[in-house]
Amino acid sequence: MKLIRSIALLSSLAAVTGCGMVSTRSTRAPAGPSVSTGEVVAVFRQGQPPAPADSSWSQAPVYTVPLLTQNMLDPKLMVPSTPEVRVQAITDGSQVSFRLEWDDSSRDDLRAAGRHTDACAIQVAAPNEAGATPSPIMGNPRRPVEIAYWSASWQATVDGRPDNIQAFYPGATVDSYPFAAAAPDKQEEMAILYAPTRSLGNDRGGPRTQPVEDLLAEGPGSLRPAAQAISQGQGVRTARGWAVVISRPLPDGWTPGSRANVAFAIWQGAAHEVGSRKMRSVWVPISIGRRS
Amino acid sequence: MPLVRNWQLGREMTYWYPEARPVKQFAAVFDVNKCIGCQSCTLACKTTWTSGKGQEYMLWANVETKPYGFYPLGWDVKTLEQLGPQRWEGGKYEGKTIFEAAPAGERMLNWEPESLDFANPNVGEDDCAGGVQTGAHLQVPHLAWFFYLARMCNHCTYSACVAACPRTSIYKRPEDGIVMIDQSRCRGYRECVRGCPYKKVFYNPMTGTSGKCIGCFPKLESGLQPQCFVSCIGKIRMAGWVSTPDKANPENPIDYLVHVRKVALPLYPQFGLEPNIYYIPPIHAPKKYLYQMFGPGVDHALEVYRQTPEDLDLSGLLSLFGSTERMMPRWRRQGDMVLGLDERGEEIARVPLKEPVYIREAFDSVRGVAHTNTP
Repeated sequence: MKLIRSIALLSSLAAVTGCGMVSTRSTRAPAGPSVSTGEVVAVFRQGQPPAPADSSWSQAPVYTVPLLTQNMLDPKLMVPSTPEVRVQAITDGSQVSFRLEWDDSSRDDLRAAGRHTDACAIQVAAPNEAGATPSPIMGNPRRPVEIAYWSASWQATVDGRPDNIQAFYPGATVDSYPFAAAAPDKQEEMAILYAPTRSLGNDRGGPRTQPVEDLLAEGPGSLRPAAQAISQGQGVRTARGWAVVISRPLPDGWTPGSRANVAFAIWQGAAHEVGSRKMRSVWVPISIGRRS
Repeated sequence: MPLVRNWQLGREMTYWYPEARPVKQFAAVFDVNKCIGCQSCTLACKTTWTSGKGQEYMLWANVETKPYGFYPLGWDVKTLEQLGPQRWEGGKYEGKTIFEAAPAGERMLNWEPESLDFANPNVGEDDCAGGVQTGAHLQVPHLAWFFYLARMCNHCTYSACVAACPRTSIYKRPEDGIVMIDQSRCRGYRECVRGCPYKKVFYNPMTGTSGKCIGCFPKLESGLQPQCFVSCIGKIRMAGWVSTPDKANPENPIDYLVHVRKVALPLYPQFGLEPNIYYIPPIHAPKKYLYQMFGPGVDHALEVYRQTPEDLDLSGLLSLFGSTERMMPRWRRQGDMVLGLDERGEEIARVPLKEPVYIREAFDSVRGVAHTNTP
């Protein structure tokens, strides 16, 4: 843990001073992507963001981001789980795509009583006039951070898992629902009446078209949906865990050729990680590639 | 953490937020001795509030058979075991509350039920605490006993769910003390499910948020008692408003039972939440079990309750239970009649202390039919 904290502190210092402590060095390995040792390097590449398993990701160097337990605010994560997330990035000058890969021995994509879902998030913020970013812990009042959150449960829904109780409890039987009495074309409308969360537009469950949610935060506990959904994503299981791609427009202040900061968080459902119980990074420097 | 006054513990305790009592605090008295475990309350709530998708295994109101009934499984014994010794000295609690026993990194002592813990709401139903052996005979407390514990959200003064939510998505209504989850803010972290020691907050997998008893607040706002109260065929319940002991008003039926006669007791007061559903404990169960469940007031409560037949005021007030759908914030005995009153003293309900007896002939010669004996 001491070693991880030291690395994180260096990264944090780099974020505050606006420069990487170590210059970017990409060394190409015989197979697979190169390794970046000082920062995330968003390489320039035109075209649609590649899928998580697309071979074109080998063009983007891997930067391994050490993760810390969320140990600042109760409830905390007291037992460390995911030690690191391997990050790659691609930009086409208007969009930036991140590929996050981390180890997780179990697929946890069912949200149910006592069950939590694997998830990840990226956090960005526009620097102020002095070039400083808000607190990496969910920002500060009037200094919002933008967060794109991906959930394995939403991914499963997008990939075709039915939206019914049997998907969560295969042996469940239900006599009837009140909305089943309505005409077929009125049932969804009536079902929403019986789900205040959905009536209020709090899109936590139900059918989804995207496994990613855009959020804003101005400090811990202040997370709220962004006015517009701007991010897209896709996650797949790998031999070791998850690989997730999250794409979004370049944030304010992220111009091609510039440097900025980004932070990451990982939740392991099997470890009952949810909300503030998470592994998280400090601000990590990122260089935004441009057309050469 | 701020220090707050918990009168049920006879002392101050730490809580996540400063003391902020509502203008009125919703409360109720359940007479355990009258409950027949018919589950009418359970179904009334179920059909009113939790018949949507994702609420299939969600029972805001339930009745479980003690000692072996639990919903969810082991809800109380797990916290009791975690909490360690729960010693009372007189009326003062010397043990730790769940807030005072919070492990490092947590806001309170907590645990999260598993999916299967919710799968069998009727586990242990009608199971006796022990077998009936040769030579057993009827005595009090019973050799082989069980009782029905009707449960709902306690709308606690120091709610663990409110304290647990890192997003302040749960709030206590200042006007009536009802604890609500803001369904537009909840993100389904389930810290409230972990935190509530009564396990009366439930996760909805279809909406991805948590839900709980809302005290039928639309009815309360109309001066009516909640659905689980008015559907109770055993008439074990009365809803109302409870004061702190220093402001106890004998004309308030809840205050009279809780503070004046001290016949109704909180459920697991040692958890430290100052729960607001009060129980008249069962007379036939072992005292040790009742001390653990209802605290040190059990002896006095049982002594008072046993004298109910000779106690015109107490028996009168208990007769008002289930007499009307309306809330009765005031009451008065008037000779051999008991009146339920509104805030202005206007009569809402009138119940005789003794029901009149009518005797009729076995054969109705006018209609030419024989009456059956249905007292």
